[in-house]
This record gives sequence, structure tokens and C-alpha cells, in this order.
Amino acid sequence: MSGLVEVQLLNGIVQGMIYALVAAGLTLIFGMLDIPNFAHGAFYALGAYVAFTVVSSTGNFWLAIAVVPLVVAALGLLVDAVAMRRLARAGHVYQILFTLGLVLIVQEAIVLIWGANPTSVNVPAALGGGVPLGAVSFPFYRLFLVVAAALVIGVVWIALERTKYGAIIRAGIDDPEMVDCIGIDVQRLFTIVFGIGVGLAALAGALILPIRGGQPSMGNELMATSFAVVVIGGLGSYLGAVVGGIFVGLTQAVMTILYPAASEVAIFAAMALVILIRPQGLFGNR
Amino acid sequence: MTRFAVLVAIVALAPLVLRYPELETQILTFGLLAVAFNLLLGEMGFLSFGQATFNGAGAYAAARVLIDAHAALPLALLVGVIAGAITAAAIGALAITGRGVYGVMLTFAFNEMAYYAAFQWRDVTGGDNGLSGVPRPGIFGVSLADPTHYYYFTALVVLLAFAAVLRVNGSPFGAVLRAIRENEDRARAIGYRVRRFKVTAFAISGALSGLAGGLYAGLYRFVPLQAIDLDTSTNIVIAALLGGTGSPYGALLGAAIFTVLSNSLSHVWSHWPLIFGLVFCAVVLFFRGGLWSIAERWSRRAAHA
Repeated sequence: MSGLVEVQLLNGIVQGMIYALVAAGLTLIFGMLDIPNFAHGAFYALGAYVAFTVVSSTGNFWLAIAVVPLVVAALGLLVDAVAMRRLARAGHVYQILFTLGLVLIVQEAIVLIWGANPTSVNVPAALGGGVPLGAVSFPFYRLFLVVAAALVIGVVWIALERTKYGAIIRAGIDDPEMVDCIGIDVQRLFTIVFGIGVGLAALAGALILPIRGGQPSMGNELMATSFAVVVIGGLGSYLGAVVGGIFVGLTQAVMTILYPAASEVAIFAAMALVILIRPQGLFGNR
Repeated sequence: MTRFAVLVAIVALAPLVLRYPELETQILTFGLLAVAFNLLLGEMGFLSFGQATFNGAGAYAAARVLIDAHAALPLALLVGVIAGAITAAAIGALAITGRGVYGVMLTFAFNEMAYYAAFQWRDVTGGDNGLSGVPRPGIFGVSLADPTHYYYFTALVVLLAFAAVLRVNGSPFGAVLRAIRENEDRARAIGYRVRRFKVTAFAISGALSGLAGGLYAGLYRFVPLQAIDLDTSTNIVIAALLGGTGSPYGALLGAAIFTVLSNSLSHVWSHWPLIFGLVFCAVVLFFRGGLWSIAERWSRRAAHA
């Protein structure tokens, strides 16, 4: 082996971690808050573009990684406060439609602010170079991306499953009125979860920027794949989103080796198969 | 009935007032897509992001028959109708396994799948370049080469389809769809086979969308890849919502306004989708009935005065 297959598979995992980050946020916001966020891809795109601005004005990629999720999450919270809560009573259809309008606004705002042409930044100097792998080498930054994404996914999971705040959040989802009665501000908890979900998407956008650059439509392309990921993993399941993300990334990579023409279609075929065999998804329980 | 008469009069007179027969034909085909979408959302309560899939299936199928078999136009449109109906029934059957948001996401994802399939299947669809060289044969010895002639042909077909939709909405079948929209469990408890009704509604919506696709292929003698992409599905959703999902007339109105605005505003300010998005968000927040409900309120007030 010349290492090319290994490189492809590693690339699949890199892409899979991006899917996992985005899908984890999507599934958190839906599973916990019951909000279908069809603008999730738009927040991902904003993450990439805000990171571009931070990197190109300060030259500091680390600052971008730290600041971007906060800035974009703040924007997400504004959307939540202005519209999503108001639309909760109108139902999912109108929440979806509002986020659809948001996608139009964000995409065009990106074109207006940053231009329609793709943007790119260099890989940070500290993460330059590559790891030798057979006859080729694998970029070090991509390995960093996998580790960083896995770390963040793990921290969020521990925070939700193993801490007091996580327990309160989960209780707030099961029985919001009861938790409210104990004297806990449920709405504030939900705001935090919404912020975390949007922040994960924005972080994914920032992390992918040095590899793929930014295009105004990058969020739309990601959205359909993310839906396939959460359907495969099970809507509302955090673990399902992560496993589904990596699975879809690897499927794409394997198909790119075997039969490139069908690499995109294969993801959705897998999704259709899951619906037929296990409608609740691999890790779903409803 | 009077409303339908007014619609027929507007459609018949439009080319005499505005001399852009191609734009007006596009309004009709896009309007039919919005009406087909509204059958699912307005009547059955299912938000479909997959309407371009059915439109594309119909457009490619009709265009192929016209190119390869030199088929007569009505036959090609029929093929488009069947292709749209079968595609929609298949996707609908899969999508309704998931309730609510889950089903919406499935139509969205399957539309993306259809897009990639069309993109890769170049022999049939022309891929990224689109399918060009679609002939537009005449009908019963009358040439349709003139854009105005083709407009009137399209108008006749679309008005017949629209009348059929009004008929479906007014039928017991339409009443069951509304029962499913209001309370699916109750409809099932009464004894209706909800699943069968839903798939049938998808098939009808797909048939209408496939018809629109076939008419579109004849209009530009070309099927672009955009005919099947998610942006088209999204535009259908936006147009129908803007017009109002309470009535097929609303969907038609929304489609007309959307087509005219997107054709004219893009020349004025290239970033017009920004304002359009803001308007759309405002509609969702404050005017959920869309323009049609506002118009209805006015006409009722005028009637009382």
C-alpha cells in the first residue's frame, strides 16, 4: 500500500468529525429544546466567515477558535429570543419556515460582507507540515482537527451526562414545570443549550476553514448531509449524531475510492436503508 | 366559482397587458408547483422540501420522450405526470415513516440525493450542462413555436389542473386530508388508512409537479440542473407561504409575485434575497395566513361596508 487508501480513510474521519460536531448541535437543539433548526448550516457558515475575519485581522487562529463559537452563539441566542420562543406555540412548521428565511438572510449577508468568492486562510504555522504515511504524508492540521473535535464532543457529553447542570437540563426537558417549581430558571437553561448547539456548528465552520475555505453556500450543502446523519444516528440522540457523523464521513471516503460518482448518493441510500430497517435510527429510542 | 372565473379572465388577458409571454408561462408552471406543494401543506399539513424532486423527474422524463421518441406533446406531458407521481409516491412513502420534523428532514435529504443522482447521470440528464435541444412540437396541427401560443397552451393545461385541485380539495378525499392535518390519531381511530391517504396525496402532488416540469421543459426547450435542486424546492415553499397556504389561490398568487420579483429585483439590487428573507421572516412571525388572507380580510370588510 502506498498510503493513499489510508489517507482517504483519514480524510473520511476528518470530514466525519465535522459532521459529528454539526449534527451533535442539531440533535441537542431538537432533542432537548424541541426546536428544528434548519438554519444550523447557516451558523456553520457564519462560523467559518467570522473565523476568516479574526484570522485575517489578527493572524491568530487560536483566538478565532476561541472567539467564533461565542460570537455566533450570541447571534443564535438573539434569534432564539426574538423568534423561536414566540413561534413555539405556532408549531414546528413555522419554526422551520422562520429558520429557512434566516438561511436566506445569512447567506446573502455573507455575500454582502465578505463577497461571493471563496475565502481561505493558511493552516496555523504551529500545525503546519505532515505526518509521514507510507509514500505520502498526512497534514498535521487534520489530525489536530480530529482530536480537537473529539475533545469538545466529549466535554459537552460529560457536561450533560455527568454534572449537576447537565442533570438539571435533562430534568428540565423531562418536566419543565416541575423544575420551574423547584425554583430553577428553565428558560435560562434552555438558552444555554441553544447556545452550545449553535456554538458547536460555528466551531465546525472555524475548524474546516483552513482546509476547505469558505463559500457562501457552504451551509446549505452541509444541511442535507447533517439531516442524513441525524436520521441514521437517531434524531435527538447525542451519541447517534457522533457515530452517524463519523459513519457518513467514512462512507463518503470509501465510496470515493470504490465508485466516486455515487459517493454523495450513497449517504442518502444508507439513510433510506436505516428508515426501512430501523425507523428510529441506530441510537434513537422514540 | 366566481373566483375561478376571475382567475381564468386574468390568465386569458395577461399577455395582452404585459407582453412577456415567457415570463407569464413561467409564472403558470411555477404556480402549479406552488399549488402542488400546498396540497400537502395547506390540506394535509405536511411541509415538503422535496417538490423540486418531482418537478425534475417530470421535466427530465418529458424531455427525454420528446428528444428520443419525438413524442407528441400531450404524451410527453403524460409521461412527466407519471414520472412525478411515481417519484413522489416512493419518496412520500419513505418520508411519512417519520412524523413531524423527521419527515420534513427526509424530503429535504432525498431532494439532495435526487440532485446528486441527476448531476452524475449525465447520459440522461445532461448533468451540470442541463438537457438541451428539447423539441416543442405543435398540437393538433397548430404550431406552438410562438411564445404566446405556448403560453395559451400552458394556461389551458394549468387551469385544468388547478380546477382538478379545487375538485380534490372539495371532495371527501380532501376532507380526510384535512382530518389528518387536524388530528392524525383521530383520523386513524375513525378507521381511515392514514398511510394510504398520505401516499396518495404525495402522488397527486407529484403528478402536478411533474406536469409543471414537463411544461417548463417545453417552455425553454431545456431542462437545467436547477429544476431538481434544493433551492427550487425552497423557492416553492417560500412562494406558497408568501401567498398563503389557506387556499390554492394563495399559493398561485405567491408564485406569481415571487416570479415577478425575482426576475425584476435581481436587476435592481443583486442582494435582494436579503430583503426577501427579512420579509419572509416577518410573514412567518406576523402574517401566517400570507397575502391571500390579507386580501380576503379586505374583501370581507369591503362587503360589510
